[in-house]
Amino acid sequence: MSRTIGYLSAAMLAGIAVPANAQSAGAENSIVIVTGQQPTTPIPTLMEGAAASLGNMELADQLFLRLAGLGPTMLTAGDRGFVPLLARSWTRRDSVTLVFDLDPRARWQDGVPVTSRDVLFSFQRAQNPAVAPRLAALLQHITGVTAEGDRRVVFRFSHPYSEQLYDATFHVAPLPAHLLDTLPPDAVARSSFVTQPVGSGPYRLVRIVPGQFVELAANEKFFLGPPKITRVIIRFATDPDARLNLVLSGQADAMDNVIPPLDNVRRVSADSSLRLIPVPSPALGFLLFNQRDPADTSRPHPILSDARVRRAITLALDRSSMVRVVFGNYGEVPYGPVSPVLWIRHGAPKPAQQNVAESRRLLAAAGWRDTDGDGTLDRGGQPLALRLSLPSTSAVRRQLALLVQEQLRQVGMRVELSQMEFPLWIERRTAGNFDIDFGSTSQDPSPSGLSQGWTCNGGTNVGHYCSPRVDSLMERAVLTRENPAEAWRQVLQQIEADAPATFLYAPTYVYAVKRRFRDVTISPASSWQRLWEWSVNR
Amino acid sequence: MRAWLLRRVMQAVTAFAVAVVLLFFLMRAAPGDPLSRLSENRPLAPAEVATLKARYGLDQPVGAQFRSFLRGLVHGDLGVSIEYGRPVTRLLAERLPATLLLGGSVLLLNFTVGLWLGVRQAVRHGQREDRWLTTLSLAGYAMPSFWLGLVLAWLVAIEWRLLPPAGMEDPLLSSGAGLAARTGDVLRHLILPSLTLSAVSIAATMRYQRAAMLDVLRMPFITTARAKGLSDRAVTWHHAWRNALFPVITLFGLWLPILVTGSVFVEAVFAWPGLGSLAAAAVGGRDYPLLMGASVLVAALVVTGGLLTDLAYALLDPRVRLA
Repeated sequence: MSRTIGYLSAAMLAGIAVPANAQSAGAENSIVIVTGQQPTTPIPTLMEGAAASLGNMELADQLFLRLAGLGPTMLTAGDRGFVPLLARSWTRRDSVTLVFDLDPRARWQDGVPVTSRDVLFSFQRAQNPAVAPRLAALLQHITGVTAEGDRRVVFRFSHPYSEQLYDATFHVAPLPAHLLDTLPPDAVARSSFVTQPVGSGPYRLVRIVPGQFVELAANEKFFLGPPKITRVIIRFATDPDARLNLVLSGQADAMDNVIPPLDNVRRVSADSSLRLIPVPSPALGFLLFNQRDPADTSRPHPILSDARVRRAITLALDRSSMVRVVFGNYGEVPYGPVSPVLWIRHGAPKPAQQNVAESRRLLAAAGWRDTDGDGTLDRGGQPLALRLSLPSTSAVRRQLALLVQEQLRQVGMRVELSQMEFPLWIERRTAGNFDIDFGSTSQDPSPSGLSQGWTCNGGTNVGHYCSPRVDSLMERAVLTRENPAEAWRQVLQQIEADAPATFLYAPTYVYAVKRRFRDVTISPASSWQRLWEWSVNR
Repeated sequence: MRAWLLRRVMQAVTAFAVAVVLLFFLMRAAPGDPLSRLSENRPLAPAEVATLKARYGLDQPVGAQFRSFLRGLVHGDLGVSIEYGRPVTRLLAERLPATLLLGGSVLLLNFTVGLWLGVRQAVRHGQREDRWLTTLSLAGYAMPSFWLGLVLAWLVAIEWRLLPPAGMEDPLLSSGAGLAARTGDVLRHLILPSLTLSAVSIAATMRYQRAAMLDVLRMPFITTARAKGLSDRAVTWHHAWRNALFPVITLFGLWLPILVTGSVFVEAVFAWPGLGSLAAAAVGGRDYPLLMGASVLVAALVVTGGLLTDLAYALLDPRVRLA
């Protein structure tokens, strides 16, 4: 037995003794990124259902180029906020026709030129609801895509609106028709193209090691200039501690989502080889008020249908302190349902500060008083008691919910926290079975997506908020091509006044990147999209 | 013996079938479905819901889904994962080697180091070494594995930089690296998670083995063996230990499912690409096909573990067969 133990120990020591860095030549031109999102199907038009994940989309951005990319302003309205990619230029024939001229240098990774045929093929697949129901819905305003020769593509839209260029470029990156158009649409997902895709982007897929990492290699013939980082490894670790450990131990060069927890900022800052890069995030957290009675949705909510109570809740909360506690300097209180990634946040008014006296006055005006001296307000014998639903999987929301509970207690509201498993929480949320829901969302760069949550017939409007004025203002903001910023400002003001939710936090995403990398740009729309422009210090 | 074996196998098959039926229907009865979670940020249009439901067979009545699942199970087809969009059997097969490696190394450490230390304790009963090992084993048993994992990763990987803190292989290892380098690389990644998982199981095995050995060492045949002039080593390992193995065989049967399930926490902390983390993600996403696939595998292993334990008993002790 002792001998067996000895052999085992020797084997272990042999494992340690093997050089840790038996790494390939040129490792200095490599980058190892660690992320929590594991890609499964990084192919445009196949990213539907569960595959419409951030992991897939970010990897697809390395492999496939769009016609144009969102510029640093993230301005989705009009035609000025975009940078050329596969299309070198675009012009307008009229208010419903956009013409793209493809860059003649653009090539697929097998050397075949990118042509208008590829664009047509990709949009045909993307607009087929049986193939790509999500994309088909997003592209519903595009009525036709036609080719004029090999290098010109003409998009026609159902009506004039400000985000035509965004719709034509953001949702779909073209696929190689010469490799795929002989395959029936439902056969692509099972084809070898999924594991060995041929894209038009700066990197090509070398291998996917399931559950561990993806390896990419530079496309040396990339027409916008070969990437300076020649090898990219994207490692997966679902646990935040595992991700941080990989970076702090020198096994990874970059990571996303350094916080939460906030203490990670201190740990990364203590490592002189790393730097922190804050980037506006598409995330937004809010307390959504149900304006219908959860027991009978045909009736108004007995407490929260009153806008004075909803506003009182917002004013009772010290949102700035809450954000500081959880996110430190890497977060802000949003004005309206607007994450930092939306361009309409620029020029928006400051969110209301905590005002407990005004909160109490509003509650009193709504008839809520502490008649029995138990510390909880009541009206007609009913206490001001509400249930706050949240998913137990979110540490941020769990932490903030406790602060919300305590601060609302101080103005006489009794809040019961109802933490539940994510699928159960989302099911109850979708069914409108809640008083207050602690929601969180990740927004597209386009503000037009706000109509889903904050218009009378919006698909995610589970709180039953309905303001005909907001509907009308939002419709105008989406359609107008002149000063849409002002139109959106009016939308936000009205939503703030109606208080369908308390908008609690809008975090800044924090990335950790080794200092040896230069020209580092991280895009809020897709973290590593500009990786091909990064370089390495010698 | 043959009749006994046949009866025992039939019992195992029945237990497995009952487990599969219960798993399938309990899973469907749990609140939440695979598509609802997709609608947190973006509404799913009715057409989109219909397309996705049809794609995953969720538009069928539960009975039809069960029949379809059984048909697939018979043919070794567990369906397509909703989360990954790939066949479940392939996903399980991809994760199985990592799981077997981690689980196997834990069992190996458990039933070598654990048994050896347990025997040592019994032989040195009441001495200082026994007391120290008892204290250590209790400490190991009381330590939460996720906490121990975090501490080991911080100390060994970050502070001392001796071993990698996560993953199963170094992605930057040259494609031309030889078998020795690759094996060494995997071993280096294996050490921390297997030590973390072993700490608790070794402690348990030590306690079981110590108690069983103490019982046997007090028996008359041991005194006889000593009286015959056999060496301490021969008495301990050839006479006492073999008779003290029965409780440990039971323990082995109980630990066998670890081969597949591993520890979700430890797999997460060390980003180990095993089945445990895959199954845990499937629970959160209500990925029915993947969840059923993983559950069927675990159920099969639990039943097999029980069967193997009974078989081992029967082989080692004829009284079991006769009973």
